[in-house]
Amino acid sequence: MEEIKGAIALVGYGLAAIGPGIGIGIVVGNAIQAMARQPEAAGMARTTMFLGIAFTEALALIGFVLFFIA
Amino acid sequence: MESVILAASECDVSQEIICAPQDVLELFFFKDALFTIGGFHFTRTVFLIFLAMFIVLGLLYFGLRKGEKVPSKFSSAIEALVTFVKEDIAIGIIGPEGVKYAPYLLAVFMFVIVGNLFEVTPLINFPITSRMAIPLFISLVTWVIFVIVGFKKNGLRYLGDLIWPKSVPVALRWLVGIIEFVSTFLLRPITLAVRLFANLVAGHLMLTLLLASGWIFMSSVGDIGVRSIIGLPWFVFGLGIYVFEIVVAVLQAYIITLLSAVYVQTSVHPEH
Amino acid sequence: MFASATPWLLATEATEESEGIDLLLPETSELIAGIIAFAIIFFFAWKWVFPTIGKTLEARQAAIKADYEAAESAKIEAESLKNDYQAQLAQARDEAGRIVEEARQAGESVRAEVVARADVEAAAIKERAAADMSGERDRVAASLRREVADLSLDVAEKVVGSSLDRPSQQALVDRYIDELGGLGN
Repeated sequence: MEEIKGAIALVGYGLAAIGPGIGIGIVVGNAIQAMARQPEAAGMARTTMFLGIAFTEALALIGFVLFFIA
Repeated sequence: MESVILAASECDVSQEIICAPQDVLELFFFKDALFTIGGFHFTRTVFLIFLAMFIVLGLLYFGLRKGEKVPSKFSSAIEALVTFVKEDIAIGIIGPEGVKYAPYLLAVFMFVIVGNLFEVTPLINFPITSRMAIPLFISLVTWVIFVIVGFKKNGLRYLGDLIWPKSVPVALRWLVGIIEFVSTFLLRPITLAVRLFANLVAGHLMLTLLLASGWIFMSSVGDIGVRSIIGLPWFVFGLGIYVFEIVVAVLQAYIITLLSAVYVQTSVHPEH
Repeated sequence: MFASATPWLLATEATEESEGIDLLLPETSELIAGIIAFAIIFFFAWKWVFPTIGKTLEARQAAIKADYEAAESAKIEAESLKNDYQAQLAQARDEAGRIVEEARQAGESVRAEVVARADVEAAAIKERAAADMSGERDRVAASLRREVADLSLDVAEKVVGSSLDRPSQQALVDRYIDELGGLGN
């Protein structure tokens, strides 16, 4: 198993990246919609968007960490 | 180019199509210290950390020293940067009391942006923020700040509201409470550190592999003949990534500062 | 050239095998360096950058305010000066108009006077000429009449052959001529 250890970790990271990828897409898409609807609230939407990205991205980042630990 | 070429020095150009180093981690370790004082190894990374510090101090000092009525271009750029961190990030997100945190946020922003831009600085080509020490330290300081501020502003209610949220149906409170607790006290510092670190590691890896492959293939034209043309797309792609990495460097510095401010803000006003 | 390892490129190659986890764990030396560097930057930002930029911005604000106020007062001054000038200009224009009007009227009256005098003079000249002419005519007529009377007497003397009583005859002839003149008229 030692030879394919790296490969399994890579697959794991790849799987971990799917969800956050979709999630970030949804977050940013909705944030852009919100900014387009209410340009005067763009600053607030942008901040909230980054916060949402940060939370969504967490899973991908944990996957990234696990890739190195595994 | 030394640190770039270092990565793939054992590439067998007649067999491989990309010159990856045998152990990717080599790219991030500079083991041989210039000198050692009682267990403190003064390596290239340590040197770059202090270089970044001096660059930050120099930028701020020479940008703001004169304080003229009509500032020069350089001065007004530095002033705009400081004002941006103070007005847009500190006050804009935390609120009026955010002024207190402006020096910390400015230090984070300047240190990280300079450290990130080392990635694309010729002759340095190594982001100090791709070593875990700096992101981890910054995120731990942010963690300490927002936990202390949370308890100081709200007392034990800070923890109580977090693990027993009143706005959620009773049946779900314990679940939401656990998620919130883990997310606030464990995931926040980890993700804050790993986000910066991971972006810079990935960027440095991509730049190194692409540019080194391109360079190695093109410069071994005498050995492998027409096959060396494979280096050209690698090199061009690498230059594209190079531009992209400049954006990433600035954006990640902005994001870590912004998120630090947001985390402090959630402690100052936990009801939001 | 790169197919084999070249020593100078491998100068910093790791001597022991690095594990993946090593990348995630901070190195002590770097951590210490990072803490020192960050602390210095933080204290610099705290103790120097923000006080300095605050002072600079305050000074600039004050300067701009002062400049603005100076400009404002200068503007007001200029405004009043302009108004003064405009008033003076209007006054001067009025003055000029008045002077021109006066001159025009004066010219008009002079012209009228000249014309009137010329008229009077012309009338006098005409009258005098008419008087001269009628006097001349009368004189010519009288002398002509006398001539005609003398001539007729001479003619009659010649025809009658004797000297007539000249004065009485003269009167007679004059009467005839008058009658004739009255007829002729």
